[in-house]
Formats: sequence, C-alpha cells, structure tokens
Amino acid sequence: MTEPHSDPDMPATATEATPERREHGAIAETGLLGRAIDAVGVIFALGIIASALILLNEVVLRYGFDSPTIWAHETTIFLCAMAFVYGGLYCVVRNSHIRVVLIYDMVTGRAKRILDAVISLICLFAAAFFAWAAYGMVMKAVFRPGGEIHFETSGSAWDPPFPAWLKIFLFTVLCLMVVQFIIMAVNYLRGAFKGDAQ
Amino acid sequence: QTHKYKFQSSDPAGNPNFILQQDWAKDLAKRTDNQIQIEMMPVGSVVEHNETLDAAGAGIIDGIVTDISYFAGKDPAFSLLGNPVGAWSSPDQLLDFMNNGGGQKVANDLFEPYGVHYVGSTTTGLEALVSKVPLDGVADLKGLKIRAPEGLVQDVFAAAGAAPVNLPGSEVYTALDKGVIDAADYTVFSTNQAQGLNDIAPNPVYPGFHSMPLVGVAMNKKEWDSLSPELQKAFEDSVKSFATTEVNDLAAADKKAVAEAEAGGKIHIHDWSAEERAKFRRIATPQWKKVAEKSQNAQQVYDVLTTYLKQNNLL
Amino acid sequence: MDHLLHFDLSALGIGYGTILLFALLIALLLTGIPLAFVTLLVALIFALGWFGPMAVPLITSRVYSFVSSFVFVSVPMFVMMAALLDRSGIARDLFEAMKLVGGRMRGAVAVQTIFVSVILAAMSGIIGGEIVLLGLLALPQMIRQGYDRKLAIGVICAGGSLGTMVPPSIVLIIYGLTANVSIGDLFTSAFIPGFMLAAFYVLYVIIRVKLNPELAPVPEPDDRPWSEKLKLLKGIVLPVLVIGFVLGSIYGGIASVTEASALGVAGVMLSTLIRGELTLSMLKGAALQTLGTCGMIVWIGIGASALVGVFNLMGGIDFVSGLLMGVSDTPIVVILTMMAILFFLGMFLDWVGIALLTMPIFVPIVKDLGYDPVWFGVVFAMNMQVSFLSPPFGPAAFYLKSVAPKDISLGEIFRSLLPFICIQIVAVGLLVAFPAITGH
Ligand code: NA
Ligand code: NA
Repeated sequence: MTEPHSDPDMPATATEATPERREHGAIAETGLLGRAIDAVGVIFALGIIASALILLNEVVLRYGFDSPTIWAHETTIFLCAMAFVYGGLYCVVRNSHIRVVLIYDMVTGRAKRILDAVISLICLFAAAFFAWAAYGMVMKAVFRPGGEIHFETSGSAWDPPFPAWLKIFLFTVLCLMVVQFIIMAVNYLRGAFKGDAQ
Repeated sequence: QTHKYKFQSSDPAGNPNFILQQDWAKDLAKRTDNQIQIEMMPVGSVVEHNETLDAAGAGIIDGIVTDISYFAGKDPAFSLLGNPVGAWSSPDQLLDFMNNGGGQKVANDLFEPYGVHYVGSTTTGLEALVSKVPLDGVADLKGLKIRAPEGLVQDVFAAAGAAPVNLPGSEVYTALDKGVIDAADYTVFSTNQAQGLNDIAPNPVYPGFHSMPLVGVAMNKKEWDSLSPELQKAFEDSVKSFATTEVNDLAAADKKAVAEAEAGGKIHIHDWSAEERAKFRRIATPQWKKVAEKSQNAQQVYDVLTTYLKQNNLL
Repeated sequence: MDHLLHFDLSALGIGYGTILLFALLIALLLTGIPLAFVTLLVALIFALGWFGPMAVPLITSRVYSFVSSFVFVSVPMFVMMAALLDRSGIARDLFEAMKLVGGRMRGAVAVQTIFVSVILAAMSGIIGGEIVLLGLLALPQMIRQGYDRKLAIGVICAGGSLGTMVPPSIVLIIYGLTANVSIGDLFTSAFIPGFMLAAFYVLYVIIRVKLNPELAPVPEPDDRPWSEKLKLLKGIVLPVLVIGFVLGSIYGGIASVTEASALGVAGVMLSTLIRGELTLSMLKGAALQTLGTCGMIVWIGIGASALVGVFNLMGGIDFVSGLLMGVSDTPIVVILTMMAILFFLGMFLDWVGIALLTMPIFVPIVKDLGYDPVWFGVVFAMNMQVSFLSPPFGPAAFYLKSVAPKDISLGEIFRSLLPFICIQIVAVGLLVAFPAITGH
C-alpha cells in the first residue's frame, strides 16, 4: 500500500534522465486528508512561479522604466512564506521530511508500525502546542488590545495585512498538521494490529 | 531583593547604540545598588525586531529598547510618534516633547494596552542620508530610487517624488554597491561610515533632514508595577541620563567620522540649506495627517504632537 | 495543567541544561523522528521545562519571522532552476558538453563541478539552492560516468556551500552589521580565502584520482564526428547565456542578488521554451518539486531558529561567554578556543544561530586582543563552511539528501564529507596562522 506510485504527469525525458528518482504522492496512512493536502499543494507551487515573475517584472519596471512598484518585494516574500509553511505540511503527507534512519531502518514489521505511530504521536504533541501558541499570535494579529478588529499590517507605504494573513495561515497549517498526525497515528496502529502485519 | 531582567535591543551587538545600551544597564545597576540588573540582548536573539512588543507583553522577554516605528503594522500611531518626519530639527526638541510636552503620556497610552509600560525615551539623533548621487535639495529627490524602512519615512519620500524601495537592512549594502538603489535611509553618519556605506555611496547628506527615530525603553507592565516607587524613579532617571549620553556620544562620533571622511577626500558631504530643509518639511507635514486618519491612536498622537509644535512655534 | 507541564528544567542550571539539550538532540535524532520536528521538539521541551507554557509563543513567533525573511526568497528560485533544468534535456546536454571540454583528463567533471559551484557562489549569498541544484544535475551525471559516489557527494556539498564564502555573502553581511565593520572590506578580504578553499577542493580531487584512478574513470575516447560534437556544444550555449545574464544583472547593477535568482528562473524557462521542452505538466512538476524541497529545507531551518531563540533566553550568551572567560592570557589560545566553540556549535546549530550566540561575545574580545575584526569575520565565515558539513546537523548533507537517489543514506553523505571537513579545518588554520591571506 505504501509503495510510491509514479506521477502520470511526468514527462518522458525526465524519467529517462534520472530513472532512480520517482515522483510519489501522499502516503496511504495519511488518508483522504493527506490526498487533499497533496492535491492543494499545486496552488502554493504556482505561488513560487508567480514570485519569480513578479520579481522579473519588478526588475524590468525599475531598470527599464525607473518606476519600481511598492508591492513586488512584499508580495514575493508573502507568496514564498506561504509556500514554505505549506511545504512543511506537504512533506509530512508525502513522508519526505529527512530523518536519520540508522535505527529506524533496523526496525521492521509490526514494531516499525508502532514506532511510526509513536513518532506521529510525538509530532502531534509538538504540533498541538504550536497550534495553541499560534492561536494566541493570531488573536494579537487580528484584534487590537481593545477588542476592535484590526489585521496587523506590514507598516510599509503600501501597508498590506500580510503579517495577519500569514499568522492565520500558519495557525491553519499547524491545525491541519494536528489532524493529520492523529489520522496517521490511528492508521499506523491499525496496520500494526491487523492480522496481516508480520 | 534583586530584579533580573532580559531586555532585547533593536540593534546588533557591536553597533554603537547597543554598546551604549549596555552601558545604560550598568548605570542603572549602579544607581539601584544592583537591585535592578538588566541583561541587554542584541536584535533577533529571542524574537525578531518587530515581534518584541508581543513578547514583552507576554513576559517572554522583560523589556525592549527599540525604535518604536517597528510596530507600525500594529498601529500607525507607532509610526507617527516614532518618526514624524520633518517635526524635529534637533534631539533636544524631540526629548523635550517626550519628557515635558505630553509625549510620555501619549506613548504610555499606546503601549499599556499591550501589557507593556513605556518607561522613557532616547534617540540616536538626526540620521544621515546615504546616497550615491549628489543631492542638494528637494528637486534632486525626483525619481531617486531610495531604500526606506516601513512607516512614514516611505510615504514622505514618495510624496517628494522619490521612488521608495522596500529592502531589508541586510540587503542595503549589496543593493547600493551594485546600483540597484541610489540612496538609503540607514542610520547615523558614524555608523554608516563604519559599515562602509559611504565608501560605495560617497554623497551622504549630513546632517540628515529625513529621520530622527524615537528609541523607546519599555518593559512588561506587571513587572514594572511590582517595582517600588523609588526603583521606578531611579529607572526613569537612568533613561533620561542615557538619552543625553547617547545623543552626545553619537553626535561626537559623527563629528569625528565626518572630519575623517573629509580628510580622506573621497567622500563628498552635502549639507542642505535651511530653505531646502523647510521645503522638505512642507512636503512631510501633510503626510502626518494621512497617517492620523488611519487609527484613533494615531489621531491622538497627531493632536498632541501638533499642539506641542504650535505652542513652541515649531510648525 | 500548568504544574504538570512545568517540570522545571531551569533547576539544572545553564551548564547541565546545555549538555542535556545537546544530548536530547542526538537521542531524538536517532529515534527516526523527522529532523525538522526533532529541533522543534527540543525547543518546545526546553521552552516548557525552563520557562513554562507562556514561553511557547516565542517559537511560533520565530517560525513566522523565519519564513517571512527576504533572503530566503532565493532558495525556491535556485531549486526551481534546478527542477526545470533537470526535467528538460539541458542538464544532460550540459554535462555531455562539459565532458567534451574536459577531454580525457581524469576527474575533469568533478573539477568542472567545483568551477560551476564557484560561479553559483558568486550569484548567491546563502546556501541551500545551489546544493539542490548541483545535487539534481551533477550527482546523477557523475555517478552515470562512473565516478566514485563519495567523491561526487563531497564535491557537491563542499562546493555548494561556497555561497557564503565567496562574495556576496549573507554571513559576512550579518557579521558586518554585528561587528560594525565595513561589509565592503569583508567582501574584499573573503575573496582570496574563498578561492583558496575552492582551489584546495580542486587539488584534493586531482590528487585523489591520481592516487586511485578507480575513483574517476577516464572518459572513453569520443570518436563521434565533429559535427555531432558541435551539436552537443550548442546545448551549453543557452545555460551559459542564462548564467552570464544573471551574473551580469548582479554586477551590472540591474538586480539585487535575490532578484537575480528570479531572473535565472525566467532565463531557464525561456531556454526550455526555445528548446521546445516547456510544457504545462513539466512546469507543474518542477513547481511541485520546488514546493516539497523548500518545505524540507526551510522546516529544518525553522527548527534550528526556534532552538536558538530558546537557548538565548535560557542564558546561552552568558554561558558561552563564561566558557571563554579566563581561558588564557595568550591571545592565540583565546582565538583557538573560539574556533573550538564555533566548531562544536557548528555541529548542532545553523550559522544564524551561531552568529547570534557568539558574535556579541567574540567580537569585543577579538578587538581587545588587538586582532582585526575584518580578519575575524573571514575566519568566522570559513568556520561556518565547516558547520554546513559537520555531523550530526550538517545542512549541506540534508539538502543533498533531499534530492539524492534513495539509496544514498545520510550516513554515506556524512562519511563522504569527512575529507572535505578536514580541508576546511586546514583552511581555517591557515587563516589563523597567516592573516595576510585576507590582506590584513
Ligand atoms: Na556568494
Ligand atoms: Na554542522
């Protein structure tokens, strides 16, 4: 079930150039949520391409027409920051975060599933705390101390509410991570105690 | 009873401002017989410079010594109070406004809802403008690609016809060096000179006309309230004397650096005429009103500020 | 709840606290928990245990600040370039052409990879993207041509780390801001040491393949007709133009270093379009790969940044300064102790953390001892080269692992890096012994 499947979108030339690398999607244990997170990734990936084009546009406008924009740098930072934050979640569902496998790979069968479940639970513990802390950060970024709604802005001449948006986004991603780690822990445990696990 | 506090600065470790802040902490310990001991931590050591208000309010760090414009995104009032471009022609005016002209109360009203008490004010003095191209008046600002930090400074330069570019401090050097920008709002002359900015942009405007940041000392309100009135008084006094030391030391350092730069012969210092400075102020002051309209607190700052300026015939 | 969570680690004191922190890092690392979560978890445990739950927001605050800093924008740009080059035929053609240029010299491709990495280093101020780029392009090609895997891995990680040694360099800029010295002087002084280090890598490759010819096979004589060789050479025209364009935009004052990396992406996209290889699905694949790779790279940095914030709040700065205090009256012993501290910290922390922790302590002492702070800045940058490679936390190894073939393990990468770490330590030693190398 966990065997990575190849991406049908992969162009033939790339497969030919590097046969040992194969694209894969969300691992099975992440369930429906994992597949959804994997699929939504393309939006943030496009954000990276957009960033490159925005910077290109900025250079052309500034160098060619002496009229730099006030929004290019802040927008680029915002798009990339969203991609970085989401990228962490994306790697969780694809199981592509780097780990030291010295001991991890020696464990096999049922024990491995249990180990995977325990690791998911530990990560869940951390993610839950961070989600809680991020919630406080979001409250401060969305409300003035008096309770009036004010989205924290960057304070520049353009002054977009990116800081508030990014903090809300970070909170959302951490919450998704919590749910995802719960699903993973449950599925790993299920796998461990199902009859077919050796 | 001793109170041990961790304060985070908005300056890096070897920066003259930071060293002066460390001296202030020593002075405060001396004044209070070591009852208040402050460890100054450089910018970014616990949280980033624009996140220190929340951190001090939450008690993660105990206090901050910071350019208060960094909180402009929380409330535009911080930007207007932190750097009302064109308002001050000397540090004495700014400090008199803060200490005797109603500034202290306005600042504290601004900080206290965040759980932070505003203790007192200092400033670096007038900053010098770093520029590659000769600038001798407002007309030269037209089309100038200038790096400016967040807040009012950007608005004013835009109103003066310049093209403000948003760049983090760490990109200023390479951007100037490679000609991506023509000029930069950075800091005081001596520090600009020490960091080599004037070598690659040899037309600094000194004394500057554009910026004199309010550097505030503030601390967690609960911890402030738990100090005895005597200790609070000693604390406030130490900040006032720190302000004087900082202004004098940096001005002296600037003079020395200017003399050295002039003797070196490679740097051409531009000093604007009173007329050009007045012209720039006339462009700057209408921008205050725009900021004031953005929040109630900003309006409050605007009212107190303009009242003071009018009373003292500075407007 | 509060009491339950507050197991008061602070009773340990900073000394034992520091030991526990590093021990916990290694222990958790060995359990197989993803690395990004290991550092975040240790930061969380110490925030909770030392200060209580109210300190946890410092971690999320640092996460927020970390992801929203401008310098990191160049990382996805380099990765995107790599992903596009890899998916098009450009990468393969480039290395075929390099093989022609290298002729029948043993180890030519490894040496050329180091040259390419020096060029990339001149285009970038940080590391991350370059290692991914070289890992995607050069590693499979060198393996395909029969190069020793360890040699290839070492060349890529060490070469790809040169970005902070060859100007422009964000390490030197941050040092300049911290020490209040001229960034221009730092750049000028780092120039020769940066090339010296690259030259050592080249020398090492040449000597190794001379002693053991099996490490790098001599390419078979190429008996293709010249018309076909010329066709191959045409393959490198576009990439070379892109590199020239990017370097030109930086040094010609058209774009900032970060913007130039975006121009590189546009240039590579244009090249694939001209070659008729640009398709929507290829673009999508490259962008998704960039998302995944950056997620991995940045989350490793996030954890390290959070950990440093917590350690600083614990009193880390005071602790390190205590270690230095009274070590010796002999200036050189003090400097060597600093090197040892930097080396040790480099095993665990990333350079931003090390700079935040040690610079406030080291720079005033270095000045007091009568040393030139510009020289020390270059020595610091050279030390950070070591930190990129040294286990157990070697960012260069992690970046390469993220794109290397699955059967290359972290352990193999770190073993491959050992000789290069030794070279770097020799380079640090030379800078300390002969400050004149920096022109000071
Ligand atoms: Na570089
Ligand atoms: Na390391």
